[in-house]
Amino acid sequence: MINYLARRIAISIAILFAVSFAVYLIFAILPFDPAALTCGKSCNDPGIIEANRKRLGYDLPIWTQYLVFLKGLFLGRTFGEGAATIFCPAPSFGYSFQEHACVTNAILEALPVTLSLAIGALALWLILGVGLGIVAARYRGRAADTGSTIFVLIGTSLPTFLTGLLLLVFVVVKWRILPYPSGNYTPLFENPLEWLNTMILPWITLALAYAALYTRFVRNAVIETLSEDFIRTARAKGLSEKVVLRKHTLRAALAPLTTMAGLDFAGLLGGAILTEAVFNLPGLGRLSLGAVVDFDLPIIVATTILAATIVIFMNLLVDVLYAFIDPRVRVAA
Amino acid sequence: MFKIKAGSSRRGRRAFSGVVALSLLTGVLVSCSSSSGGAGGTLTFLTNAESWTHADPNRNYTGQHIAWFGSFMHRTLTAYARAEGAAGSEVVPDLATDTGRSSNGNKTWEFTLRDGVKFEDGSDITCEDVKYGVSRTFATDVITDGPTYAISMLDIPSAADGSSVYKGPYATDGNDTAAYDKAVTCSEDNKTITFNLKRAVGDFNYTVTYLSFSPVPKAKDTGDQYDLAPVSSGPYKIEKYKAKDEMVLVRNESWSKDSDPIRNAYPDKIVVRFGVAEEVRDQLILNDSEPAAFSLDAVLPTNLATVFNEDGTPKEEWKSRALNVYDPYVTYTAVNVGKVPCVQIRKALYYARDFAALLQLVGGPAFGGDPADGVIKPLMGLDYKPVTGLEDFKPEGNPEKAKALMEEAKTTCPDIYARATGEGFTFDTSDTDTNKKGATIWIDSLKKNAGINLKFNFIEPGQYYAVVFDTTKQGDMSRAGWAPDWANASTVIPELFLDEGGFPLSRVGKDPAYAEFKSRAQANLAEPDRAKQGAEWAALNQYVMDQMWVIPGVFSKTQEIWGSKLEGVFFWEPQGAPSFGDIKVKS
Repeated sequence: MINYLARRIAISIAILFAVSFAVYLIFAILPFDPAALTCGKSCNDPGIIEANRKRLGYDLPIWTQYLVFLKGLFLGRTFGEGAATIFCPAPSFGYSFQEHACVTNAILEALPVTLSLAIGALALWLILGVGLGIVAARYRGRAADTGSTIFVLIGTSLPTFLTGLLLLVFVVVKWRILPYPSGNYTPLFENPLEWLNTMILPWITLALAYAALYTRFVRNAVIETLSEDFIRTARAKGLSEKVVLRKHTLRAALAPLTTMAGLDFAGLLGGAILTEAVFNLPGLGRLSLGAVVDFDLPIIVATTILAATIVIFMNLLVDVLYAFIDPRVRVAA
Repeated sequence: MFKIKAGSSRRGRRAFSGVVALSLLTGVLVSCSSSSGGAGGTLTFLTNAESWTHADPNRNYTGQHIAWFGSFMHRTLTAYARAEGAAGSEVVPDLATDTGRSSNGNKTWEFTLRDGVKFEDGSDITCEDVKYGVSRTFATDVITDGPTYAISMLDIPSAADGSSVYKGPYATDGNDTAAYDKAVTCSEDNKTITFNLKRAVGDFNYTVTYLSFSPVPKAKDTGDQYDLAPVSSGPYKIEKYKAKDEMVLVRNESWSKDSDPIRNAYPDKIVVRFGVAEEVRDQLILNDSEPAAFSLDAVLPTNLATVFNEDGTPKEEWKSRALNVYDPYVTYTAVNVGKVPCVQIRKALYYARDFAALLQLVGGPAFGGDPADGVIKPLMGLDYKPVTGLEDFKPEGNPEKAKALMEEAKTTCPDIYARATGEGFTFDTSDTDTNKKGATIWIDSLKKNAGINLKFNFIEPGQYYAVVFDTTKQGDMSRAGWAPDWANASTVIPELFLDEGGFPLSRVGKDPAYAEFKSRAQANLAEPDRAKQGAEWAALNQYVMDQMWVIPGVFSKTQEIWGSKLEGVFFWEPQGAPSFGDIKVKS
C-alpha cells in the first residue's frame, strides 16, 4: 500500500510540473503580447511597451521565464524596485498586477470561500439526491417515483446561473425573505449567521443541479442491486425489507457514488464559476474567470495547478476510500 | 477613459465647452429638487464590476471614475465647476489658488497651492507631493492604465527606444532624475509648482484636472499596492476596500471646507458594493429595495421599458430617479487608410451600411443615440459644426450613391476595387453578441448595396486594442469609440489622426491628404485664441469626413437610475458622469 501511494504521489508531482509548463507554453504561442497589456488596455506607445517588456522580463525566452517561476516556488520572489518593491515568499506563484497581491495570498483568500460553497453544497445534494433516489427506487412506478422524475427533469434543465438569479431576485429582492448580504462573503468564524445567510442560496443553487443527477443515479443503482442474486438470497433468509435495503442494497449500490461525489467535489473546488459569479462570492472560480478575461498569467498558472492538484488528490483519496467501502476491492488489492 | 460602448471602447475623458447645454439636447435632465436632505446618511453605490478599475489617482482614466474619486477622495490643481449644463465645463481652482499662470508662449505653467490643504493624516500638501505624484506617471511598468500626458508634454528627452529617459520614482538604474527635476520645479516655500513643457499647450490647466496630477505623499507610496489604499486629500477617506466585496468611505477629519470651495460632503458614509449581478442590481433599484442606492452601471436593456417611455423620456414616476443623456462617446469604424487608399470606396462603405439596423442593436434612437456626422460631438460646443457633404446619407443605406461611388472606384483605384468585390475587407471587432449581430448587418448591407465583401475578425474584448494597435495584425476596418479628454477637440482630432496621436487606428500617415492635415492640426494645437482654435477643429473634422478616414457611428447615450431617498443628482458634463459629490440622502 505504501509503495502504491508513493508511486501515485511521484506521478502526481510529475503531472503537476507538466501541467504548469503546458500552461506557460499555451500563453507563449497565443497571438498576444503580454508587454502590451501591461501598458494599459489601449496603449499605443511602443516606447512604453518595450520598456515594460524589459522591466518585467517578458523579453526572456519562455524556458527562462518558466525556470524563474519554478525558482520562486521554492525560494520566493521579489518584484519591482525602489518603493514599489514587493516580496512574495515561497511558495510564490508570482505577483498579480490585476489583484494587486501575491498570487499565493490571492488563492489563500479565495479558497475558504470555495470550500464553504463546495462542502455545504455537497452535503445538501447528497442528502437530497441519495434520499430521493432511494425513495424513488423503493416506490418504483408510484407517485414518489414520478415526483422524483419531475424533480430530476427540472434540476437538470435549469442552468445554475438561472436558478441562482431567480433565487436572488425573488427570495432577496422581491419577497425579502433573506436580507441582501451586507458584505459579499463573511467567514464562518466571524459571523456564523451572516455566513449562513451568504451561503444558503448558493448551496441550494448548486445542490439542485447536482441532486437531480444523483437522484437518477441512486435510483438506477438501487433498482439494479435489488435485482441481484444476493438480495434474493437475503430475502430468502427471511431478512426484513428494511435490513435488506439498508445493509445489503445500499452498501453495494452506493460504492460507485463515492467516486462520483469525489470527482464532483474536486471539480467544485476548482471553482464553481457561474454560482460564484451570480452570488458575487470571491472564490476560486471568480478568481480564475477574472484571470482568464484579463490574461493574468500568474493567477491562471496557479489556479490551474491548484485545480489539477485537487483532482489528483481526490482521485487518490477516492481510490483509498473505495478499499474501505467495498470489501471486493480490498480482496483484489 | 476606457469604457465599453457597444463592443467598442476607448480611453479619454470628454468634456463639453458648452455652447449647447446637455439639457437642451435631451430635455430630460433631472433638476435638483427642493432639498429636503442635507448632511448625513449612507449613500450606497451598486455595480456589477468586481472593483474599481483603479483607485490610485495616477491610474484613474475613466470619466466616471475621475468624477467619483475626484468628488470624494482625490484633489487636483484645478477642477471642473460643479454645475449643471455648460457651466460645469468651466475650470476652477482646486488645490491651486487660481487656474494657472502661463508664460514662455504657453510652454511654462505655474500653480500655487492654497494654504491649509492637508492629507488624511493631517500633514500639509506641498509642491513636492504634487511633483512626486506626477512623477509616478513615468513608472509605466507599475503605474499602468493612467493618462500619460505628463510623459508626452513635459520637457524631458526620449531615449533611443522612444521611452522617456526618466523612468519614474521607483527605477534605480539608468534613470535620469535630473531631467525630471528640470522639467518640474518647486519654489523655495514649497508652495508653487512649475511645469516646463516641450511644446506650447494653451489648455494645460485643463490637463491638470486629471487625477494623475494629484499629490501623493512619497512616504506612503507602495507602488502597485497604492491602488488598494490611496491617501485621501478630499472629504472622505477609505475605511475598507476589498475587491469583489465593498468599499466604505468615512469622513476625512483633516479635510476642511474652508480650503475646498468645490466639494460638498453631504453623506456621512459612502458604500460601494461590488459584483452585484446585473439583474439584481437593477431590481434592487426598480423595487426600491435599496432607496439610498445609486447604480454605477447602465440600465439593462430589458429594464429600460420599466423606467422610460418609448421616446426615451423617463416615465412620470421615474422623473426624479432616472436620466437618459448623451454620454461623452462617439462610436465609429476606423478605415485603415494604408490598406484602403481609395476615398471612393471608403465613402461607399459609409453610404452602403444599414445604419438604422445597427442603431436598433444598441437601443434605437431613444436609447442608443443619434447618427454621428464626424468624431466631434455637438456637445463640444464651439469645436463642433455640422459636417456638410453627407446629405445623401440614408439610415437604411443608399445603394444608388454607394454603387455610383464603386463605379467611380473601378477606374480611380482598380486594385482596391478588385479586392473589395473579390476577397473582401477584414473588419476587426471585439467578440460580443451585439457585435456578432452587427456583423451580419454589415455583411448583408455592404454586399447588397455596394457589392463589397466583408470578413469579420472577432477578437477577445480584453485583447481587442492590443491586437488592433499592432499594425501587423490590424485589418482593413476596426470598430472603436472615443471621448475627448477635456473640453477641447485638441484631445480628439490630433489623438485620432496624427501619427503621434494616442489612437491612430485610421493609419492616415501615407494618405496624400495627410501632409496638409498634419500641418494644420499641429499649428492649431498651439493656437492661443480658443474661438479660432475651435473653428479650426471643426474645419479639420470636416476635412476628416471629406476623406472618410472614419465611418462615423453614433453620438451615444447612457441611462442611469437611483433610489427614492436620493436627490441632487445631475449629469456632470465635463466628466460625462453623474455629479456624485452632489448627491444627498434624504433624511
